[in-house]
Amino acid sequence: MKFFDELQMLGVDVDEGVDRLMGNVDLYERMLMKFADMLKETPVTDDFNNDNCEETIQNIHALKGAAGNLSIRPLYEAYTEIVNLLRAGEILQAKDEIRRILPAQENIVECIRRHGQEDC
Amino acid sequence: MEKKTILIVDDVEINRAVLAEIFKDEYDVLEAAGGEEALVIINSNEDISAVLLDLLMPGVDGLAVLKDMNVTGRIRTVPVFLITASENRDLLLEAYHLGAVDIISKPFYGHFIRHRIKNVIDLYSYQNELEGIVSEQVTRLNKLNRSVIAALAALIEFRDCESGGHVRRMCTLTWLLMQEVSERYPEYYLPPDEIDKIGMSAVLHDIGKISIPDQILKKPGKLTTEEFEIMKGHTVKGCEILQKIPDLVDEGTYVYSYDICRHHHERWDGRGYPDGLVGDETSIWAQVAAVADVYDALTSDRVYKKAYSHEVARQMILNGECGAFNPKVMEAFLKSEDKILKMYQETQNN
Repeated sequence: MKFFDELQMLGVDVDEGVDRLMGNVDLYERMLMKFADMLKETPVTDDFNNDNCEETIQNIHALKGAAGNLSIRPLYEAYTEIVNLLRAGEILQAKDEIRRILPAQENIVECIRRHGQEDC
Repeated sequence: MEKKTILIVDDVEINRAVLAEIFKDEYDVLEAAGGEEALVIINSNEDISAVLLDLLMPGVDGLAVLKDMNVTGRIRTVPVFLITASENRDLLLEAYHLGAVDIISKPFYGHFIRHRIKNVIDLYSYQNELEGIVSEQVTRLNKLNRSVIAALAALIEFRDCESGGHVRRMCTLTWLLMQEVSERYPEYYLPPDEIDKIGMSAVLHDIGKISIPDQILKKPGKLTTEEFEIMKGHTVKGCEILQKIPDLVDEGTYVYSYDICRHHHERWDGRGYPDGLVGDETSIWAQVAAVADVYDALTSDRVYKKAYSHEVARQMILNGECGAFNPKVMEAFLKSEDKILKMYQETQNN
């Protein structure tokens, strides 16, 4: 299956993402790789507590902006929900939401990485 | 046409890359990965036409950047767009209060954002251009106004048969002494632009002499008591003239002009005129102008006397032969001697 078709199957709005980058497909692909790198550097995890909650909010907030700009919709929507829950002090619910989205996140990252390796 | 420059500030490289791609064809794009780097660029680059600013960043965040731009005044000429994924209403409202022109939510749409930002940049360019034209016209008007005032002051001098240059020297001397007093004594501190206004305001201190009859104004000998009473009236008459033509000087200098005109013959011990004010009842700028007026009168030729040397004039002032002055102003006068002599030397050379 082609890369973009696969991403679309995973819920990524590729057309919108490319359109946002004024049709620059190469740049879109590069930015998807950057996004995967971001997740490697600052992984989304449910392993946090009240002491480092603010740091988690900042990390997920940054990922939310990037996911939104690349139209990775399932992740953008989940990160938005997680940030809202954390800001509202609903830590347990936020952790549930993180655990719920991790498989989808893993699938998207794996797809991006695989395509990146094929390109190499 | 030369491309305008925009600055993109975001700690996430993806967001910067997306925005850069949207704007690269129409603008020169600068990027900053944080608030601190953004401020360095903003404060060192006059040509920035717009800032696209992320709100939540580690370290110096978007609000801090806006606050700094308020301090430096850049916020008045450079439109700032917040590009944010935040929905925190208090934060967004604060950003508006700090001068952000628009808030664009992530994710955004390239074509829309391009139009929104272009419209505001064009509006700001037009506004900045208009402000430039207005400022140029104000400068020209001020120059014209100063020329009219200077011509008026020269007429008074001419009528007074003074050797010329008294008004100009007195203004410079007032400015110079006021600077020294302001620096030396916190209770008399004034900002530099106010001191500049005071220096300019001294130009009309003798405008009331227009009303003094020739036989008194040009009398070579000592004035009689009655004649001196009429002569003293030039202070009050000068204020009447200023009241009748208040537009002669601008709002910012009117108070100084009026005050110096009325009180430049007051003395520290209350033995001056027209109001017999004592000590600091006379404003510090009128006190300073009084010393400047006396010093220049002593060191210049007049119809009734020859010019005294600096040393003699200095001694006469210190001895109280021209009336008592504020000791702090005297101290500033003595500390400024070198500058005063240099200024007079330059005036003579010119």
